[in-house]
This record gives sequence, C-alpha cells and structure tokens, in this order.
Amino acid sequence: MVSKKAKWIAPVALASVVGLTACGGGTSDSKGASDGAAAADSTAPVTFSLFSADANPNWNNMQDDVGKAITEKTGVTLKAEYAVGGDTQKVSLMIASGEYPDLIMPKGDTSKLVEAGALVDLTDLIDKYAPNIKALYANDMNRLKYSKDDQSIYILPTYTGVGQTSFDAGGGFELQLEVLKELGYPEIRTLDDYEKAIKDYYAKNPTINGQPTIPLSLNADDWHIMIGVTNPAFLATGLPDNGEFYINPETYDAMLHYKRPEEKEYFRWLNKMNSEGLLDKETFTQKRDQYLAKISSGRVLGTINQEWDYSEAENTLKGSSDPTMQNRIYGHFPVTLNKEMKDHSFMDVGFPGGYGIGITTNLDENQRIRAIKFLDWLASDEGQVLNNWGIEGKQYNVENGKRVIPQEIQDRKTNDSAAFTKETGIGQYTLMSPHYGDGVKDKTDNYYTANFPEQIQNAYTQPEKDALKKYNATTWKDLFPKAEELGTSAWGAAYNLPAPSDPSYTVAFQKSQDIVRKRIPEAILATPDKFDAIYDGMIEELNSADIVEMEKIFSQQIKNTVELWGTGK
Amino acid sequence: METLTPGGNSNKSPGAPAAEAEVGKRFKKQSFWRTALQQKYLYLMSVPFIIWAFVFSYLPLWGWTMAFQDFKPAKPFLDQKWVGFKHFVELFSDDRFYLALRNTLAMSVLSLVVGFIIPIIFAVLLNELRGIMFKRFVQTVSYLPHFVSWVVVAGIVTKMLSTQGGAINDLLVGLHIINEPIQFMAKGNWFWYIVTAADVWKEMGWNTIIYLAAITGIDQEQYEAARVDGANRYRQMWHITLPGIRTTISVLFIMAIGHLMQIGFEKQFLLGNNLVLEYSQVLELYALQYGLQMGRFSYGTAISIFNSVVSVILLFTVNGIFKRVSKESIM
Repeated sequence: MVSKKAKWIAPVALASVVGLTACGGGTSDSKGASDGAAAADSTAPVTFSLFSADANPNWNNMQDDVGKAITEKTGVTLKAEYAVGGDTQKVSLMIASGEYPDLIMPKGDTSKLVEAGALVDLTDLIDKYAPNIKALYANDMNRLKYSKDDQSIYILPTYTGVGQTSFDAGGGFELQLEVLKELGYPEIRTLDDYEKAIKDYYAKNPTINGQPTIPLSLNADDWHIMIGVTNPAFLATGLPDNGEFYINPETYDAMLHYKRPEEKEYFRWLNKMNSEGLLDKETFTQKRDQYLAKISSGRVLGTINQEWDYSEAENTLKGSSDPTMQNRIYGHFPVTLNKEMKDHSFMDVGFPGGYGIGITTNLDENQRIRAIKFLDWLASDEGQVLNNWGIEGKQYNVENGKRVIPQEIQDRKTNDSAAFTKETGIGQYTLMSPHYGDGVKDKTDNYYTANFPEQIQNAYTQPEKDALKKYNATTWKDLFPKAEELGTSAWGAAYNLPAPSDPSYTVAFQKSQDIVRKRIPEAILATPDKFDAIYDGMIEELNSADIVEMEKIFSQQIKNTVELWGTGK
Repeated sequence: METLTPGGNSNKSPGAPAAEAEVGKRFKKQSFWRTALQQKYLYLMSVPFIIWAFVFSYLPLWGWTMAFQDFKPAKPFLDQKWVGFKHFVELFSDDRFYLALRNTLAMSVLSLVVGFIIPIIFAVLLNELRGIMFKRFVQTVSYLPHFVSWVVVAGIVTKMLSTQGGAINDLLVGLHIINEPIQFMAKGNWFWYIVTAADVWKEMGWNTIIYLAAITGIDQEQYEAARVDGANRYRQMWHITLPGIRTTISVLFIMAIGHLMQIGFEKQFLLGNNLVLEYSQVLELYALQYGLQMGRFSYGTAISIFNSVVSVILLFTVNGIFKRVSKESIM
C-alpha cells in the first residue's frame, strides 16, 4: 500500500519542485567557468547572457562568421535576448524579479538599474584589465561617469563611436529622386521649396502606377511620432537634437521644445499641408507597416523621417527591376522654416556618452573580470576590424596595405542587407563593443569602420549618384550645414543622458508625452482657423505646475552634467 | 443546493454528481476525520492542486504589501519604507485613472452584452441546421478566428477600415451611402464599438462551442413531446433549447462578470493610436505605463489591488443576485 502510494507521490512532488526551481533558477547554465581566478585569464568556453533593449531581427545566435570568430578568440558565447520592438517594461520586470542577465544594454533604463544596485562599477575593472577600453575612452573618461553624486562607470557607451564623424545624412526632409528629376533638380532649402516641389509634381502626376499619389506621409505610430512628426519641428527650426527639450546654451535651462514659438509655425505648416490635402489622411492612424507599404509602393513623394525608420521599404524599391521604381527612393535635404535657420543635424556634440553596455551583479568577481576582458577584446583593433569588416579573405581583402571590400560583397551588402548581416554578422557586434566611430584610422592607416567617404559613395545606387551629381555633391551630407558653422554643445546630446528616475520627473514627463501625442495630431488635423486655439491650449496644459517642475529637474541634470564633464563656460 | 462545476451541466451526465451527493449525505452525521479517512484517496488526489493554487494564487498576494510601501527593488522587506495609503490617494486623484476606468468599464460592458448574446443566438440557430456537414463547416469556420493573434486581427481591422482601399469604405462609397471615405480609426467615440465588433468577430464562434455542447445534452424526447403538442421551431427554441442551457448561461455570465475589470490591453493597444487615446486607454495599459514602465512598482500594485477588489465585489454581488432570483450560482 505505502510503496504504491510513494510511487505516484514522488513524481508529483518532483514535478512541483522542478516547476518551482524553474521559476526561480534562471541563468544557472552560464556559470560554467567560475572555478577560481584562473578562469578569468583563460579562453575556456563560457556563456554570458545578454539583454538588449533594442530589437534585432537579424541576430543569429553567433552562428555567423564574425560570431564564430569571436567565440574562437575569446571562448565567449553570448546567449542574447533582444527586446521586441524596443520594449521598455522588460528591464522593470528584471528589477522586480531581481534576475538579471550577465551583460545588459538597457538604453534609457540605466537609472532604474543603478537604483536597484544591479550594475557593477567598472572603473577599477577597466583600470586593471582593459587596456584597450582605457585607451579608447582616454579623453572622455569623465563622460562615462554616471552622475555628479555617483561618479561610478556603469555603462560603456557603445551606441556611439569615439571620434565619430558622420559622412552621410540619413535625416532631414526626404523627397523622391523621381520628383527631383522631373522638376529639374530645384534647390530644396526651405519649407516653401519643399512644399512647392511636392505640389508641382503632384499636380502633374495625380496617380503613380494606377494608384493615387500620396504627396506627403509621415510615420506617427506609437513612439515613431517623435521621429517623424515632433523631432522635425526642432530640426526645421534650427535646433540640435536634445530629445523632448530645448536647452538654453547660456543658462542650461531646459523646457519642452514645443513651447518655442518657431515650432508652432512648423506645425502650422503641417496643418496647412493637411488642409490642402497634401498630407496623407491616414498619417495619424496608420501603423508602421502600412506606412512602409506605402513607401515601398513608390507612391509617397515626400516623407520627413530618419532613414533607419524606413530603410526596409526603401530597400524594396532599390531591389526593383523597374528603373523608375528604383528612382523612387529618397534624397535628404536640410529643410528649415526660412533661410536664416540652419539644420543642426551635424552639430559637433563631442563624445555624447550615453547608451551602451554594462555588467550586472549576476556575475561574481572572477566572471566580471572575464566579462570585461571580453569587452576589451571587442574594443581591440583586431576585434573592431573583425566587427566592422568581417573575415579577411572572405568579406574583405587587403590590397597594398588597404582594406578593400570586393564588388560582389558590396553589392550584396547594399541590395540584400538583411540576409548578408545574418550570414556574416558584420555590424551585429558593433553595438555591444566599445568602438571608434566612422572616420577614425587605425595603425595601418585604414579606417576602423567600413563607412568612409569613398565607401559611402560606392554604396549609393546609380539613381542616387545621378541625383547627387546634379546638386554638385558626393554625399547627402554635403547639402547640410557643416559642423564648423554650428558651434558645440556643453552637455553632449540631452536625449543620451540618463533620465532622472524620481517619480516627480517620470510621471510628469509621461504626462507631457500623453498631452503632446494627443494634441499635436489634433492641431495638425484641425481646420486652419482652429489651429491656434488647439496649439495654445496644449501649451497651457504643458505649463501645469508638475510639468514645469519636471523641466527644472532636467535643467539641474544638465547643469550637473556640464559640471561633471568640466565643459562649462 | 446543487453546486455546478463551471461549464458542466446537470442534464448532460446526471449519474456521477447525484451519486456523489448521496455519498455525501450518508457521511454527513459522522465526524469529519472519519470521512476524511474514508475518502483519503480523494483528499490525496486534491493535494497537488491545493498546493498549486496556494503557490500561484495565494503566495503572490504577499506582494500586495508593496502598495503600502515606497517599494525599492533589491532591498530586504524590513528596510522598505511604509507609506500607508499614499499610492491609493495618488491613484484616486489622477484624472487619467478615471478616464482609464471609464474606458475599461465601457468596453467590457459592451463586449459582455454583445459578446454574450450573439454566441447564444448563434448556437441556438446553428442547432436548428439540418445538414450535419454544413453545420460542422459553419461551426469550424466561425471559431477559426479565435486562433488568430490580436496582432494580425488588428492589422486586418485597420486595413478593412482604411480610407485608402479599405473594403468597408469602398463598399459604402460604392453603394453611395457616403460620399467621402470615413476615417474610422481617427474617431475617438467610435473606438469602443470598433473594438467590440472586432472582439465579437474573433470570439463569437469559439464562445458558441460551449452552448452547442450544452444543447446536445438536452433530452431529445422533450423536443418530440413538444412537436406532438404542436410547438413550432421558434416555440421549441424558446421553451426547450433556451431553458435547457439556462444553467450554462448563468454560470458563464457570472464568471464573465468576474472578468469585467480584466479585459487585457492587446486590443486597445494594437487598434488604438494617438488620436483616440482618450477612448483607448484602459486600466491595464495605464498600470503598465504609469506603474511598471516607470519602475513605480508600488503604484502598479495599488492599481492591481483596486482591480481585484472591484472584481471580487462584482462577482459576489452578481452571484448573490442570481442565488436569490434563479437559485443558480457558482458559489
């Protein structure tokens, strides 16, 4: 009797125990190499878990060429988890459960992790074990520090390259090359120029491929509204990108940028475009995939966006066999309200620090050393060249001491980029590696990255080359105001700074976002006579006491940053 | 009083529960321990489920203490700062909370009313179909959308209602009912109805299954007797089919009331956009945005406590009313 009972109780009990430990256990499989200090030195196989707050559909579990090479050299295999669609709750959940990955790229959630004590101070680790990282950030060490009160280094800023010079423009206002061609390549410098080009072409071509032409469409789906609708307001009124804020360069006082009277005029222009039937009626209701579908149908004459937000659709056009369709990709123009204002896309903000990779308390002392050594290897010349160029003899060759990408590889990179990335892993590890930016040369007098002027020009499609020639330019960037004309910023780029985690900031900030995302579309879609009332009403809402208090908190953050970096006047 | 198991009905298998009840009666006068000993296998069999329920449904309630603290993660329980009802006060003084509450209740009541009545009508009508193949076919087709994820459904709905080549607008314009395509997705006060309609389309067939199962349990002799008495089809539906599934209906209705506050947020999140925010913001989305995403665990917990308390009150109220009125209840 008893033995019979025991027979079935045991599995049940076992099952519930297993169930419980499965919930509580987590990443125990990654702790293989924790046997003593020797482990820190070796290249014995070890697995680190990694979480990134950015989506990465091309991640191939390190089964790509570069990934295999990294594992071979360092012994490290990454078990990476990429958040779906820029997930922000995942980090909060980790904090709530107290279970962290070994390495983490939390984007804007750094301060939450710091508050929870989840991140390891890297200062000493870098000093002792990471000569490459130390050399890389040598001039910018102050900018790695977390805050004035807590001067630890929690995050290695990997989202921006050190010494980065952008050689191409991916932002500004976009117009189809076909529009430019038909209108004889007019100057596109102000909103009036831009509007006129769209209007003129639309009048002549009410349909494209039998479907109605869409003169101007924007992406306003969820957070994309910032990229496609609200950020262009400050870009078109001559301000650099400081996220949602305008920061007075003299006093460092921050306020929501919508409160500037110039921006009201920008939104008034969108309102006018809408009332004249030039703005896509579905702009504020369409989802991103609908927007992309329209772009790739070649019917959208103009859009205002960053290239990374629509490049998938543009790639479809590039790959088309119809030459007119190939010509329906976009050129980038530094459009502003009037000629006195300058597009500040290429302002030199110095090394902005900000988003990057950190090590969590999930690792013990020895494993932390191993992890920092891994990151240090990625930051080495060997690691950076591997990440950016791939395998020598496979994805690039060295001819006369110069790294050269063979034409057929370059073609695949341009026309079949997703599959190429998945297969080779080029670019997949850059975002997690401390690295030099475009335009920096290594000891062999080669660029660290594969983005340099000749390479970029080489990567343009023929229609782009033709259009650029008409504008006497070699890249779209040539059309934009140069960094030398635009001054510098003492606080880098405000969107890149860790946001205060105090509820009196976060709640009021979220509230301001709710107001803006509701009222801006409303103002744009209203009949022109109602525009002022709606916009002024929004400003009034944004002047409520808690939001003004939030601006003050952020001003203080800017002032502290300037003090910490020693960049003040 | 007869106790019903959810989804079951006494007509279907009258044997087992009745026998159990009799056994229960016989042991009523004997001591509890004696009964327990006699039914030791039954008790043993229930143990894993009691543990399961305790671990997953009752242990987490400990987390409710967070709502009364300024909870900081990774700090021991005793080091947390107790703040009393601070988070509740904050919650009840936030306009957005009331907005979210209004939208939650509006959409859940709508989907309760529509989403409850239509499957019953559909089941009763389907039951009247003669051709068994055709009946099966219709049934299968109607519940297939249940397996489609909301992401896809939201895509279909937005596309159908689009002003550029959307089927609904094309149809309405084609029939000259309207001159200009309607921007369905931009109209805030339509949002609740669009969500409800999408919900009905997706879940109607699935919710019908349980009623169809209940209907098959009705004794065919009752229909024969009714036909002999000269009852037509509508009479049969009204006097036999509907009373036959009445217990199922009440049980499901009471359970649905318990879920009134928990309507999820996928539909609203996926179908909504910035223009209709005032109508699409629901409690769970509010808890996510203003609680979890900001790392305000205490505030999020306060919202969830409010949710649970309201749900329990609703459930007991409705259950009590049913008990009085129809002598049917689930507790």
